[in-house]
Amino acid sequence: MQAVSAFLIPFLDIQLLGLVAAGTFAGIYIGAIPGLSVTMAVSILISFTFAWPVYPALALMIGIFMGGVYGGSRTAILLNIPGAPAAIATGLDGYPMAKKGEAGEAIGITTVMSFFGGCIGIIVLALAAPMVSEFALKFQPRDYMLLAVLGILLVGSLSGESLIKGIFAGAFGILIGTVGLDPLTIADRFTFGFSELRGGISFVAVMIGMFGISEALVQLHDVNKAAVRQQISRIVPSWSTITKYLPLSLRCSGIGVIIGALPGTGGDIAALMAYDHAKRTTKNPEVPFGEGAREGLVAPETANNAAVGGAFIPMMTLGIPGDAVTAIMIGALFIHGLNPGPMLMIDKPDMFWFIVGALTLANVFMLIFGLTGIRFFVKVVETPRSVLIPVIILLSIVGAYAVQSSLVDVYWMLGFGVLGYFMKLYGFQLGPVILGVILSRLLDDNWRRAIISDQESLPMLLKGIVTSPLSLVLFSAVLFILLAPLWRMVKARRAA
Amino acid sequence: MREGQTRRPGEAVFVAFLALASLGLLIKAYGIAGFEALSSPGALPMAAAAVMLVSALVILVQTMQAPVTKDETVREHILPIAVVVAIIAITAYAFLLQPLGFLITSFLFLAVLIRVLSGRSLFFCVWSSALCVLLIYVVFRIIFTVLMPEGIVPEREILAWLGRLFGGAR
Amino acid sequence: MKRTAIAALLGLGIAGSAMAQSYPAKEIQGVIQWGAGGSTDVVMRAVTPHAEAVLGGKVVMQNVTGGVGAIALNRVADGAADGYTLLMGAENPLLYKVMGLGQKDYSDFTPINIIARGIPIIVARPDAPFNTFPEMIAYIKANPRAVKFGSTGPGGLPSVITAMINAKQPIQVTAVPYDGDGPALTALMGGAIDVMPAVLGAAIENIRAGRMKPIAIMDVAPNAALPNVKPIVETNPEFRQYLPWGPFFGVFVKKGTPADIVAKLQAAYNAGAKNADFQKLMDNRGFLMMNIAGKEADDFLAKWQSTTTWLLQDAGVTKASPAQFNIPKP
Repeated sequence: MQAVSAFLIPFLDIQLLGLVAAGTFAGIYIGAIPGLSVTMAVSILISFTFAWPVYPALALMIGIFMGGVYGGSRTAILLNIPGAPAAIATGLDGYPMAKKGEAGEAIGITTVMSFFGGCIGIIVLALAAPMVSEFALKFQPRDYMLLAVLGILLVGSLSGESLIKGIFAGAFGILIGTVGLDPLTIADRFTFGFSELRGGISFVAVMIGMFGISEALVQLHDVNKAAVRQQISRIVPSWSTITKYLPLSLRCSGIGVIIGALPGTGGDIAALMAYDHAKRTTKNPEVPFGEGAREGLVAPETANNAAVGGAFIPMMTLGIPGDAVTAIMIGALFIHGLNPGPMLMIDKPDMFWFIVGALTLANVFMLIFGLTGIRFFVKVVETPRSVLIPVIILLSIVGAYAVQSSLVDVYWMLGFGVLGYFMKLYGFQLGPVILGVILSRLLDDNWRRAIISDQESLPMLLKGIVTSPLSLVLFSAVLFILLAPLWRMVKARRAA
Repeated sequence: MREGQTRRPGEAVFVAFLALASLGLLIKAYGIAGFEALSSPGALPMAAAAVMLVSALVILVQTMQAPVTKDETVREHILPIAVVVAIIAITAYAFLLQPLGFLITSFLFLAVLIRVLSGRSLFFCVWSSALCVLLIYVVFRIIFTVLMPEGIVPEREILAWLGRLFGGAR
Repeated sequence: MKRTAIAALLGLGIAGSAMAQSYPAKEIQGVIQWGAGGSTDVVMRAVTPHAEAVLGGKVVMQNVTGGVGAIALNRVADGAADGYTLLMGAENPLLYKVMGLGQKDYSDFTPINIIARGIPIIVARPDAPFNTFPEMIAYIKANPRAVKFGSTGPGGLPSVITAMINAKQPIQVTAVPYDGDGPALTALMGGAIDVMPAVLGAAIENIRAGRMKPIAIMDVAPNAALPNVKPIVETNPEFRQYLPWGPFFGVFVKKGTPADIVAKLQAAYNAGAKNADFQKLMDNRGFLMMNIAGKEADDFLAKWQSTTTWLLQDAGVTKASPAQFNIPKP
C-alpha cells in the first residue's frame, strides 16, 4: 500500500508531473544533439537543483535520462550522426530507411520500441531488483573480460562487406582506448611525451569526429542534391507490426536490463549486443540488415531503454552506479541528505517506489513527445545541405569542446573526422572503431585483474573459467560465435 | 559490392599509410613495458597494434591485387572541392578559436562556408549564421554553462552586466 | 569601457583594491579534478552554493579529469592568477613530483580552504577468515600471496595504507588494481578481492548492511559513525607514527592571486564549510571537517606531503626520491 502511494506521487503532484514532462522533452533534444550528453546535463542539474527538495530534483533528472537515451536515435536516423553512443547501432538501419523517405516510419518504430524496452526495464527494476543485483555482483573480473571479448566479436556483425577491414577498425578502436595514463599502474601509453595526452583521447571526441565530421564530409560530395522528401503519413506502427517483433524485443530488453545492471557497462554496449543478436537470430528479414531492416531498429532501441531501468537496479539496491548517469544521481542523493547504499531500500522504501513511478511517467512522456514533433525534425533535415552541413560541423566542434573545455579534444575530433572520412571512402566501417573504444577499458582492466588474481598464470585462469558456471556460459558463447562460421563452412563444403 | 573488384584512386596509398602507422604503433606499444608480464600495461596495446599491422598488410595485398577503377578520379570522387574547402575551414577554425573567441570564429566559419557551398546572397549568409551562432551560444554557454574560449570578446563581463541589468538575478 | 577603466586603474597602481572591490565582476570557473559523481565532485558541488551566497557571485563548476588530476591542475596553473579560476582538488597533486606525473603541485597554489579529510578504514568481505587487524596479519603471514587486496594504482589511498602496513608488518599480498574505490568495493562485495583499504565514507553504508566487515579504522580515535570499531592504534600502537592521515579535499587558486581576492574567497568558503547542512552531509559520509586556510593549511599540506612521499619512497613505489624536490624527511 505504501509502495503504491509512493509510486503514484509523481502522477498526482502537478509540479512533479510537469518536471518529469519538461525533463523528458529537454532530454530528447539533449540526446539528439551530438555533444550534449545526458551525463553533462545531469551533472549541471546537481548545482541547479541544489536548493530544491529531493523529489523534484530527481523527477527532472529522471526525465532527462529517459528522454536523452531515446533522443540519440533521432539524429542517427535522420542524419546518420548518432546523438549519443547508445544510438550508434540505430543508425545502421535507421539511416538507410531515411534515405528511402521512410524516416517517419523509422522514428515511429523506434519510439514505440523504446517505450516497450523502457517498460520492461522498469518492471524488472520494480519486481526483481534485489535478485538482479545479486546476479550482477557475481561477475568476476574474468567474466567482465569474457563479456568484453563477446563484445569485440560483434565486429563480425558491424564490418559490412569486408571482415578484415572491420578487424583492423576494431583493433584500432581498442588501441585508441588505451591512449593516456594507464589508470592501474600510471604508466604512460602512447602519450609521446605530451602531458595533455595523459588524460587519453576523449571517447566523445572520437565518436563525434568519426560519425559527425566524416559523415558531413561524405555528404558534401553531392552538396547540391535536394534532400529526400520524407513521407510522414505513417508514423505509429500497426499492431501487427508490434506483435511481430514482440519475441525479439523481449529478448533484447532482457539483454538491455542485464547489461545495464552490470556496473561498468551501459546502454551503448547493450544496444550493440542487441543489434548483433537480432542479426544472428533473424533468418529472413524483409529488408536485409544494413539496408533498412526493421529488426535492426527494434533491437538496439529496446535494449538501450531497457538498460535505463537496469542501471537503477544496482544503484537502488546497493548504492553502486549501473552507468555514468546513475553515478551522478548517487552523488545527487548524497547532496540531498540521503545515504545511497544497501540500506536505502530498507530505510527509505518510498524513495525506491518514487523513482519507479517517475521512470514510468517519463517513459509515457517519451512515447507522447516521441510520436509528436516529428515534423519539426524532418523539416530540419530537409534544409538545404549547403546550410545544414556547416551547422552540423560547427555543432560537432562545439560538442567536442564542451566535454572538457579542451581544444585538444577539438583537434582530435578533427583528426578522427578526416581519418574517418577516408576510411569510409575506402570501404572501412566506422562502427567497429567505436566498439573498440567502448570496450577497450573493459577488456584491458579486467584481463589484467583476472590474470593478476590468478598469479599471472594462464592455466589457473582457464581453470577458473571452466569451474565457474557463469564464466563457463560466457566462454561457451565466445567459442560458439568463433566456431559457428567455421562449422557452416565445413558443412557447405560437404554439401558441395 | 566492390570488395575485391576494384581499387579506388588513392586507396593503395591510404592502406599503405595505415600499415606503416600500425608498425609505428606496435613499436611504441612494445616500448610501454616490453614482454614484462601478462598483466603489463603494454599487453593489450601490443596485441591491438599487432592485429592492426597484420590486418593492414592483408588489406594492402588485397588492394594491390584489385584492378584500378576506370571511372573515378581523386579530384572528383575522393577530394572534391567542397570537401577540401570544408577541411580548410575546419582547420582554420581550430587555429582561430583560441585567439578570436567562440562567437567571432563561429560566425565567420558559418558565414564563409555557407557562402562558398550554397552561393546564396551575402545577406542570407550573415543573418542565418548569426542566428545559428546565437542559438548555439545560448544552449551551450548559458544553459549548459560550457565556458567557450572568450578571445577578444569580454563575454563574462557582458553577461555579468546583463545579469545586473535584469535585477541582479545572478 | 570597463576594460579600459580597469587598465587605467592598473596604471595608477591601485589595481589590487579596485579589483577586489568589484570582485567577482564575472563568473568564476571552478575546475574539479575528478569525475562527476565522485567524492571530490560531490563535496565541491555541495559546499560551493553556500560559498556563492557569501561571495555574491556565481561559480561555474566543471569536471576536468585525466592524468590522476594533473590535467586539471595544469590548466589552472596555466591560467591567470586573477581569482577567476579555482582548482577544486584532492590530495593527489602532492604526489605528482615523486610519481613522475608533473612538475607542479600545491606549492604553486594558494589554499583557499582545506575542507575536510577522509578517514581510512580497512574492510574485508564478510566471510573472510579474520576479524581484527592482528588476525588479518597472522593469516596473511601464514598464507603468503593468497589474500587479494584491492588497490587503486600507485599513490592511491590503498597503496599508501599498504605501504604503512608493510613498513611495520611486512606482508605478501596480491594487489588487484581498480580504477577507484567504488569499483573496488563492488568487487569486494562480489568476492573478487578479500580486503580493501578505503575511505570510511565509501564503505560505511555497506558495513551497516553487513556486506563487508570493518577490520580496523586507520586513525588515532574511534569514529562516531562506527563506535564499535577500534582504531588501529589500540591493537598496533606502532602506526601512531603515521597517523592521523587521510585523503583530503581543498579549493585552491594560483599563487600570485591578489591577497584581498584570496581573503574574500577564503571568507566565502569558510562560511560555506560552516553551513550546518553541509556539515551534516559530511558527517553522514564519514568525512572529518577541517575548514582551514592560511598558514594552518600550508603546514598541513607540508606535513602530509612529507609523511606520504617518504612512506611511498620507502615502499619503493615512487619514480623519484622526495629528497630531489627538497621534501623534508618526517
